[in-house]
Amino acid sequence: MFKGGFMSEKVAIVGVAQKCGENLMDSVRGLAFEVTKTVMDKVGLTREELDTVVASSSDYWQGMGCSNVFHFDAAAGYLKDSTKAEEDSGLALAYGYMRVRSGHFDTCLVIGITKCSEAPPIATLTNIYNDPFYQRPIGLEEISAAALQANQYMSRYKVSEEVGAEVAVKNLRNALFNPHAHRKMRATVEDVMHSPVMAYPLRELMCCPASDGACALILASEKAAKKFTDDPIWIKGINWRAEPYFMGDRDILENRALKMASQKAYEMAGIKNPLKEIDVAEICEPYAFQELLWYEALGFCSRGEGAKLIKDGVTSMDGELPVNPSGGVLSTNPFCARGAIRAAEAALQLWGKAGERQVPDAETALVHSVHGLAGQLHMVAILGR
Amino acid sequence: MVRKVAVVGVGQTVHGKRREVSFPELVHEAVKRALDDANLTIEEIEAVVSGSMPAPMEGVNAPHLYWGDDAAGAVLKPNMRVATCGTTGMSVAQSGYYHVASGMFDVVLAVGAEKQYEGEAQGTMNTVGDAHFSRPFVPGAPGVFAQQSNEYLHRYDVPEEKIRLAAAEVSVRNHLDAFDNPYAHIKIKIKVDDVLNSRIICYPIRLLDVCPQSDGACAIIYASEERARKITDTPAWVKGVAYCGNEYWSSDNDSVENPGTIEVARRAYKMAGITNPLKQLDVAEVYNPFTFQEMMHYECFGFCKPGEAYKLVEEGIVSRSGELPCDPSGGVLSTNPIGATAMVRVVEAALQVTGKAGAHQIPDAETAFSNGLGGANHLISVMILSRTP
Amino acid sequence: MSQEEVKTVREAEITLPYKWTIGPSGLRFFQGLKEKKILGTKCHKCGRVLVPGRKFCPRDFVELFDWVEVKDEGTIRTYAFVNYSFVGQPRNPPYIVAVIDLDGADTGFNHYVMGIDFSDPEKVKDQVKIGMRVKAVWAEKRVGAITDIEYFKPIK
Repeated sequence: MFKGGFMSEKVAIVGVAQKCGENLMDSVRGLAFEVTKTVMDKVGLTREELDTVVASSSDYWQGMGCSNVFHFDAAAGYLKDSTKAEEDSGLALAYGYMRVRSGHFDTCLVIGITKCSEAPPIATLTNIYNDPFYQRPIGLEEISAAALQANQYMSRYKVSEEVGAEVAVKNLRNALFNPHAHRKMRATVEDVMHSPVMAYPLRELMCCPASDGACALILASEKAAKKFTDDPIWIKGINWRAEPYFMGDRDILENRALKMASQKAYEMAGIKNPLKEIDVAEICEPYAFQELLWYEALGFCSRGEGAKLIKDGVTSMDGELPVNPSGGVLSTNPFCARGAIRAAEAALQLWGKAGERQVPDAETALVHSVHGLAGQLHMVAILGR
Repeated sequence: MVRKVAVVGVGQTVHGKRREVSFPELVHEAVKRALDDANLTIEEIEAVVSGSMPAPMEGVNAPHLYWGDDAAGAVLKPNMRVATCGTTGMSVAQSGYYHVASGMFDVVLAVGAEKQYEGEAQGTMNTVGDAHFSRPFVPGAPGVFAQQSNEYLHRYDVPEEKIRLAAAEVSVRNHLDAFDNPYAHIKIKIKVDDVLNSRIICYPIRLLDVCPQSDGACAIIYASEERARKITDTPAWVKGVAYCGNEYWSSDNDSVENPGTIEVARRAYKMAGITNPLKQLDVAEVYNPFTFQEMMHYECFGFCKPGEAYKLVEEGIVSRSGELPCDPSGGVLSTNPIGATAMVRVVEAALQVTGKAGAHQIPDAETAFSNGLGGANHLISVMILSRTP
Repeated sequence: MSQEEVKTVREAEITLPYKWTIGPSGLRFFQGLKEKKILGTKCHKCGRVLVPGRKFCPRDFVELFDWVEVKDEGTIRTYAFVNYSFVGQPRNPPYIVAVIDLDGADTGFNHYVMGIDFSDPEKVKDQVKIGMRVKAVWAEKRVGAITDIEYFKPIK
């Protein structure tokens, strides 16, 4: 497109599109085409003008080796430089950001796609995150790992099970106002506490569902952004970090990787007091207690105070810092797409286009995604106008 | 302006059957060598990107959380996985480049690895085809390339025997050159007749036309211009970077005069200021899993006209003493840990332009071409390195 | 008591169940096969007839609505004679997979070519040639899957 060959320190989101549900009628390929075409038409970007694509999918979730080959040209990749950041579209966002910032590309399509309805259960596919010798035979997978984490948290800070239920209630209710959400209900703490135990203290409604979904974003350099919108949403800060591999090497209450990623993102964005300066946060909370831990590592409160934030309604829709107006991952979990969805939801908030789930006067948003057992790899981004 | 980026250190494992080490240990071997080469400590690495073939190949999902984490020095650092079939090694290399080019990082580590003896390579690769239309007809990698080679043999007005003979020479040359590469896997002294008489795998591909399966890993350290000049006296500057993909329905693309392959070279040459590849490139590490593939690449990359690759071979132009030596390392035909293979091409290119290629050094190599290929000719990538910034 | 050595490898097989969605355009194509029709979609921009019929043209990136029938015979663009085994192989060797340019289609079609005498592997390439004409042999019982065509056989 422009290819002026100038680095662009400012990178913007100029368009978003998403489609999620329980068991979507179309294939991964059809869905990829649909969200890609939708966002490109919305933005007014032709396939010829698009410079690069960063897709995110998982071979295991798709049941296909080299999963991106299957949706490559459906996501506008024919004869294009289209690459893949696996497992987490939050990382595709980060990589897309780097590509545009480098000056080699003026526009970038970021897309995440997973159809959980096609795949084996999350527990099966995350059990094989483990090495074959030490952790896999023990049966560790995402749910039991999150349970270990929740148990330790409850024990350390004398937090009750019901607090986890409160997170689920908040998010599942928020989802009622999100037309894209999968699981939505006017749940009560009692409903959550009566749902079947998965791995104590985690009950079914405290655990993410298995959703189908795709989400596409268009990123643009400062120069190109002007062509597509009067209201670019700038990526003001972004960083991502990984915890060590072995569960036993980690402090899964401190979550240092998230702490460091957020600190770096805040630094880039000039944020000193997250609770005050951030107006809305879209974070990935596949297991209810993790939302509390992420509050703490993100610096919204100190260690052990996460429960207080939820109890005091600080993170409710009418609180000081609404978290997950979209309903989050507890409501909608098309695995690899969920990071991009957080960014899309945050952008919609800043554009004032979040409909019934709008947080009034949102100027600065925090976007977070995570994957891996007990939250092994986190991405944090700050969006602003 | 865009940021200048250089390769400041490379490392690779001895490739082959590495049953004596675990996957993380294998990766660590390559990473340690790259750090030693650059005289850097792991603390100085600011971000890590890694990749390999589909995770099912070794049966561990999201391997960047496993061997791409601690063993690659990525703990508490930015860590991501890029996986794009056979081009993975180079997609990872290109990602490392973009990490630095973005201005976010000054020193970045890229790691490609495969432990093929731990799993079922063919069975895994076959799942690239979707279950509804393609999978019943994906004939394994040899079959895919056989179809392509078969087409090539009959496309031009050149006697089949000439092309067949040239391909056999390519095999002889690569396997012999491997002796001068301490990291190469298969080293055999063969003659043209050995190739022509070797067992048919899938016509026209014979056993000695084909790459091996290898375990192996390699690592590249990229740095910004400012840091590169402090780290080493011999940076290998990244001059051309390009990547391209064809349609998913592989039969919709001309597999011989392949649009993606032609386009990717055009873009990389443009970025690197190359107008006459044969003259301006000093060495080319071409992705050659099959002998005929290497020849088709010569044509798509503009080293010669379509149909004339056999001439480059006959006239010795692509041998080590020729005008454009191809795969002096022994190429993919000798060494193929798939997730690393395309990155090994970049590593070899770096070794050439920095004068560190030892026994297989091409004298005065200033500009080196490297490429990667993936899927059933779905994806192609190119990286051009040079001694001069 | 002698100590048994610890094994150097750990072995396992992983079998995973999947349920892939065919999608509306795939369903329409397979319904066609059930009716012994090979259907493609014509792109109104580049004019190509794409087989199997599909939702969009990857080059022009437009949605396709124009379904057309192509002939169930065509020309072999290339082929591979598979006489080896691998894990997960969909059928037992020997067999031939080919890319067939069906009459009326602008894209290649992947399928089997059979009706070949495999008794002498060296003689297979005398029977199957690039440029040869082939015609579909339909399965008697068709269910709406790619195997509703059993294979393509050489014709004069």
